[in-house]
Amino acid sequence: RAFWGGRRRKEEREMEADRAVPEKEEMREPSLICPLPQSRSYLPPKDLQSCLESHVREIFGPSLPEDWQQTPLQEKRLKHRLLARLAAELGHAVPNSQLHRMCRAGDVLGFYRVPVKDGTKINELVAAELPPNLKIIWQQ
Amino acid sequence: RYVRQLQRLQLLFSPTAADARGARQFVEEAAQDFARQHPDVVLYVSPHSGPGPAPVLRAEYLNGTVREELIASKTSEEIVQLATKLANQSGLDIVRIRKPFHTDNPSVQGQWHPLTNKPSILTIQGPRLQPQ
Repeated sequence: RAFWGGRRRKEEREMEADRAVPEKEEMREPSLICPLPQSRSYLPPKDLQSCLESHVREIFGPSLPEDWQQTPLQEKRLKHRLLARLAAELGHAVPNSQLHRMCRAGDVLGFYRVPVKDGTKINELVAAELPPNLKIIWQQ
Repeated sequence: RYVRQLQRLQLLFSPTAADARGARQFVEEAAQDFARQHPDVVLYVSPHSGPGPAPVLRAEYLNGTVREELIASKTSEEIVQLATKLANQSGLDIVRIRKPFHTDNPSVQGQWHPLTNKPSILTIQGPRLQPQ
């Protein structure tokens, strides 16, 4: 008797759970489950060097050595201003892990010269030209 | 005319698992070269997302044998060597061949080997390539 009683309780709980789950799914359907992530692709523009030079002269003002690429970024406020302006203009920010490497303006220039590709390697391979006997089965 | 006995190679791996790193490097770097060197073998690369079975290289031969080799935690070069080894095999089972005959005296005048009836200087200096 206890066995059958326990079974009936479990069945009731399952029925309640089944009823609750389709209701929640119906509630969620109109809104997006998660938004599409931002594309992180970045291509360096052709006038990158002149753009960077103008920003550096604007922010650092008079205290510039002869070669503008050797300006040390020791002043934290000026460094932040420069990096924030470049990020806003080019749409590509220096990640926190690379901040300690940016000691001179030349380092920043080198960082912004590197393009960033967005997709996975498999997607690139799928799009690229393959020999006729290589097939990649990938559905995303 | 030589007919390669290997029909197709299927590379099943996960794009995120740690032990499939060699498989991924193989696909990115060496798979195209391998496909060009062996134009009569079809290479199927099928990554399956999410946690799944271990990465495996499945070889199918013309006589129907399917041979699966685990490639978990193998480097890209090792996978290339394994693939070439499978491509040079036939699909026959790798079993000890037993023959229905046996002798206690297999040879009376000495068993032939490639250096019998050749000048004995070859055992010291080895073969010399003829300039053409």
